Amino acid sequence: MNLARLSLLRGELLPWLGVTVSIAVVLFALMALAGAPFGQALSGFVDGAFGGRRFSYLLTTLSRTALIVGMAISVMLSFRAGLFNIGGEGQLVAGGVVAALVAILLPGPPLLVLLVSIFAAMAAGALWALLAGVLQLYLGVPLLVGSLLLNYPIRYIGSYLVAHPFRDVGSGMVQSHLVPQATWLPYFPGTRLDIGILFIAVASIFAIVYSHATVHGYHARLNGLSPDFARAVGLPVKRLALQTLAMSGAIAGLVGAIAVFGIHHRYIDGMLVQPLYAWTGIIAVLLVGMVPWLVPLSGFFFAAIQTGAAGMERTAGVPKEIALVMQAVIILFVASRVSGALLASSDRKAGGDGDA
Amino acid sequence: MHVALSGITVRFGALTAVDDVSLAIAPGEIHAIVGENGAGKSTLMNALFGLVEPAAGTVSIDGTVRRWTSPQGAIAAGLGMVHQHFMLQEEMTVLENIVLCSEPVGRFGFVDFAAAHRRLKESAEGHGIVIGLDRVVGLLSVGERQVVEILKVLYREAEVFILDEPTSVLTPQEKDRLFAILKSFRAAGKAIVLITHKLDEVMEIADRVSVMRGGRLIASGRLAETSKEEIARGIIGGELPAARQRRASEPGEVVLSVDKLVAAGRGMAVGPVTLSVRAGEIVGIAGVSGNGQAELAQALTGLKPSTSGAITLCGIRIEALDVERRRLIGMSYTPEDRQRVGLALGATVAENANAGRDDRAAFSHGPFLNRPAMARFARSLIERYRIRVGGPSARASTMSGGNKQKLVVGRELARAAPLVVAENPTWGVDIGAIDFIHGELMRMRDEGHAVLLISTELDEILALSDRILVMYAGRIAGEVARGEASRERIGGLMTSRAVDALPEVA
Repeated sequence: MNLARLSLLRGELLPWLGVTVSIAVVLFALMALAGAPFGQALSGFVDGAFGGRRFSYLLTTLSRTALIVGMAISVMLSFRAGLFNIGGEGQLVAGGVVAALVAILLPGPPLLVLLVSIFAAMAAGALWALLAGVLQLYLGVPLLVGSLLLNYPIRYIGSYLVAHPFRDVGSGMVQSHLVPQATWLPYFPGTRLDIGILFIAVASIFAIVYSHATVHGYHARLNGLSPDFARAVGLPVKRLALQTLAMSGAIAGLVGAIAVFGIHHRYIDGMLVQPLYAWTGIIAVLLVGMVPWLVPLSGFFFAAIQTGAAGMERTAGVPKEIALVMQAVIILFVASRVSGALLASSDRKAGGDGDA
Repeated sequence: MHVALSGITVRFGALTAVDDVSLAIAPGEIHAIVGENGAGKSTLMNALFGLVEPAAGTVSIDGTVRRWTSPQGAIAAGLGMVHQHFMLQEEMTVLENIVLCSEPVGRFGFVDFAAAHRRLKESAEGHGIVIGLDRVVGLLSVGERQVVEILKVLYREAEVFILDEPTSVLTPQEKDRLFAILKSFRAAGKAIVLITHKLDEVMEIADRVSVMRGGRLIASGRLAETSKEEIARGIIGGELPAARQRRASEPGEVVLSVDKLVAAGRGMAVGPVTLSVRAGEIVGIAGVSGNGQAELAQALTGLKPSTSGAITLCGIRIEALDVERRRLIGMSYTPEDRQRVGLALGATVAENANAGRDDRAAFSHGPFLNRPAMARFARSLIERYRIRVGGPSARASTMSGGNKQKLVVGRELARAAPLVVAENPTWGVDIGAIDFIHGELMRMRDEGHAVLLISTELDEILALSDRILVMYAGRIAGEVARGEASRERIGGLMTSRAVDALPEVA
């Protein structure tokens, strides 16, 4: 029992500690380089991520957290099943575009319109993910390639739709009209944080329960750990792959819908691509080695880094570029931690049959 | 160059792969090292080449004791090895592959490809080797790639050539060409070590032959002073192993029937294979590995589609069905590779034990897992099959090889399917586990299940089988009934074509 706890400590907490310490060292070096005052920069960072008047910055961080965690959960479901679906961005855009257009075009009571739009967005995300799955299973295009390449057509289909047929010409921007105000997600009382984060909380709980406690999640995990094993014990691997991809895409589509109804209230060209929600989500998952309950924490961490860097820029005069370098440094350390973990696991595999 | 190995011992954990072997390799000779899979031939040569470190023993060259711990050291000492799996860069040309890591550097540090080209062409033609040096390796046939590997060794001016199962991937014509090259090397005074399990080839080309079994050197001498029969006896051991207790019973109905089954294999089609297994009998498929057994197992279980032919399980045609449906109709399968196929090492024992169960309701409530029930089932397997492991929630990777295999066997046998396909069920496990697994397979037979035992361990086949089929070159070379099984008879079928060994069958 003690041993198990020790290995948990070693397996999950120590890498975090190492990453944090290394990041702190590099960040201080960078601040020294930029000539920014340490104390002010640090308090700017903390304030930018967690503070603000009536915690307005914290709410910004939470709003961003919702989208990043949503994308991270979407990716985690695929990754755990051994499906390297990196097309989250495309599935997110599909959801966002469809959500906005359905809400603009569909008449009816606002609540119904909202629900139908969200379901349509989830269906769109699921379909876009399924497309990558079909390409892999029936045409032999590796999922890693297919899902990545499918990001581009949907991105430009979205751009076209809001640049031409459904453009809000009067606004002068490449964006759709606003969705009906009655369909906007309400804010928490007295704040500027929409209730989209509740959807993500539900999705996170779903993902954690699904991963640990359902037959489908168990089978998907076995496929992720060893595809040959899953096939040999007769798991329906193709069906598992398609169902998992659909689930993964549906969650990405949901995130797109939340961004539309909670934050932007319309589809603006590039609004889901430029903030790199999907990619940040992937990194957030890799950071915690696909342990489901850690994913929301990891997503919050990344959101805080981003808003905190912005805060540092505002208050301590740390140049934006240095703030961006700091973000990149953090991501770099994460990547090294991940590849280190992968190396260790392949070592274990290679040495595995020495006992035979 | 004379190479002498003395007292070489290699251990992997508790397993002694090579046990106190002494061997002399002389120039101008082709020295064949023969033995079954796992006899330690490759390991011995890997120790000589610096790929594994021996626990004891020395290597001496021309009388002086030498030591190296990496292939670079061995190459510098004048040794060269052609591995079973080629190590070539597909995108690069033949010449680039050959000079890689020993490039002739000209002035200003550029590679002098022209000089390398000249030198290589000269030495290749001297041995009658014709190959386009500027062709891209990715476009070459398997036989040509092997020639590239040989040229690589030749280019480094090796005096000792070690070839590990060089003919396993070659067509007969390519094999003849290879042997011509080896004879030319022999005439040039080089020493050649040929690791093989094909007796015919040994008889054709070797000057000296060493037989290994179970990590020990059984015999070593000039080919002229021995006979094919004597070598075969050395390879497969002395007397028959004691047969296991079995209940005398007439086999029941046909459970599995395979009719003219053909499957795609590496370099050759496997089949047509026709066989049947009845309830209450163990049918053993013997043969040296790589003669189509793996392809047969994959075609039977549905892991790879078959090309043609029919498979009938419990009266139902299954050749077009997927793995899941075949298992539901009544098939269990213990794969050869427990690390990758038999288990998901990263999952827990309970998760592995419950995978592939047909009675889903027993470990779930609707869509949710019933973890306590899963753990109970795992615990019952742990007790029933005496698996030494921390418990149901321990990771599968924490078990030893024998216990891993017991878990695989336990999970598959617990399904009580009418047909059990067991592929090398005791490969690489300790004697206690072997005995236990054999007992379980025999119990399945006595209880009226049909067992198809595919194994490269002849002892295992002889101990368990009611009937023995021998596979050679993708086909069933012959059938031997339990009563008339002898090592010579099976050994003959295993190592050469049926027509040569058993004229009356052909």
